[in-house]
Amino acid sequence: MPNIWSIGGGKGGSGKSFITGNLGILLAKGGYKTLLFDVDLGAANLHTIIGLPHPEKSISDFVNKKVDTLQETVETTPVPNLYLISGAMNNLDIANLAHEQKSKIIRNIRKLSYDYILLDLGAGTAFNTIDFFMVSDAGVFVTTPEPTSIENIYRLIRSVYFRKICQVLNSHNFRALAEEAQERDGRATVSNPDILLHTMKELDSEKGEILENELRGFNFKLALNQLRRQDNPNIGALICKIIQRHLALKIHFVGNISFDERVHNAVCKKIPFLDLYPYTQTTLDLRSCHKNLLAIDEAEPILQNAVD
Amino acid sequence: MPLIRNLKRIVQGKMKPFREQNYYELLEIPPGASPLEIRRAYKRVFELYQDESIVTYSFFSKEERQEILSLLEKAYLALVDLESRAQYDRRLIELGLLDKERQYCNKMKEPVPIYDFKKIHFDVIEPARRLDELKERVSKNPTIQEILGQDILTGADLHTIRTELDIPLEEIADNTKVQISMLRAIEEDNMEVFPPAVYLKGFLKSYARYLQIDENIVVNGFIKRMGEGK
Repeated sequence: MPNIWSIGGGKGGSGKSFITGNLGILLAKGGYKTLLFDVDLGAANLHTIIGLPHPEKSISDFVNKKVDTLQETVETTPVPNLYLISGAMNNLDIANLAHEQKSKIIRNIRKLSYDYILLDLGAGTAFNTIDFFMVSDAGVFVTTPEPTSIENIYRLIRSVYFRKICQVLNSHNFRALAEEAQERDGRATVSNPDILLHTMKELDSEKGEILENELRGFNFKLALNQLRRQDNPNIGALICKIIQRHLALKIHFVGNISFDERVHNAVCKKIPFLDLYPYTQTTLDLRSCHKNLLAIDEAEPILQNAVD
Repeated sequence: MPLIRNLKRIVQGKMKPFREQNYYELLEIPPGASPLEIRRAYKRVFELYQDESIVTYSFFSKEERQEILSLLEKAYLALVDLESRAQYDRRLIELGLLDKERQYCNKMKEPVPIYDFKKIHFDVIEPARRLDELKERVSKNPTIQEILGQDILTGADLHTIRTELDIPLEEIADNTKVQISMLRAIEEDNMEVFPPAVYLKGFLKSYARYLQIDENIVVNGFIKRMGEGK
């Protein structure tokens, strides 16, 4: 069973693909067989960040049944041990993937034999994005220290939370209970999950417990990208604190990643930033995030729940 | 690695909903926190939850923020005042939510004396009783009476009287504020270090008074002897 990290963040341009690409390279260099999967369908560009400008295969081949298995869409990359499923060269309507096709991809991701699979998610909170995010319960959120980006992170986390509650509600016939809870306490909606949980537990302790355990299964991480010198370096840790305190979700801060003008150069040259500028603060930060992510996984094995 | 420690704490301990937290948990301080720590904690959480905060402004609605801020203010006001804090602690203890030992107690230390005169501590006798008792002992002791009957007195004589009364030199020094080296010089007849006569007389008076013996006899006898010694 591969370790799956889904890397998301509500806002575009916060550096999801940049972080996914560079983390993938670090994992591969660390001896892990690593697969990058660009699920930013319709706006894929991860291949460019790792220096593979023209991938020959892509996820479309699988969706269009040109190939039978997901494994056949995997490309090798210039980095040893690192593989890629590109989202490029897709048909133009792939962003609106049908539900069955999405489910088929998600089912097949788990069957791939890699040590680590990194999913690079698109911006926004569309169901497709969230469902890919929830392939693993160990999502990594990426934000910048800007109100817009932080706002979208909260939005995304609440959406994931909401999606999870919906799933649990469907599979355990909870819906009536949720409605009853909301009637009893007007604040008991998904935007106040702690109150919802609390009220549901009061109404039916057994079912409330099931929901609580499902939500506790999440093990999120947060990386704060593009931290400039004038920014408060504690923002990331504080965001995690707020989420833990008020959404009762586990989320760990893995570190700040310094802003660097030269990221632009690396992307333009289509060379991975780590290789082009190995001795910059940003590279050091990426390495320390990579180390922290591995340490968290070691301390707490990830429970991977099926999402179908 | 603090990250891992933090992680284990979160995994093990079930998280408590915000509204059910007690005042200490709201401010994220231990129950034994000092008033200064409480002030700092309030400042910290206030900055985090106020509406200018980049971290929380998009997380809460206006009403939620107001509710949280007023909750935090209530917690702060209840804890920062020692009297209402004691009351709140009592309530928590009654409810079994707080161990008595973990409660705040003022651990302010007394100032440490830079120089302790009472290096040797004696059993304190009531001064009035002590004086009467001493007077009696002086009058009933034949050796002392014999010495006091002499025309001249030496340091050795004073030493004998003091030994008879069983009073340590340190005690005299401590109570009369005469330096112990001076008292010792008097008892040893070490005339080279004696101060001018005026001061010496003063010291002898203090010494005699403390031992409850006639100060005139002591001063006159000692000075006379010094004249002979020359």
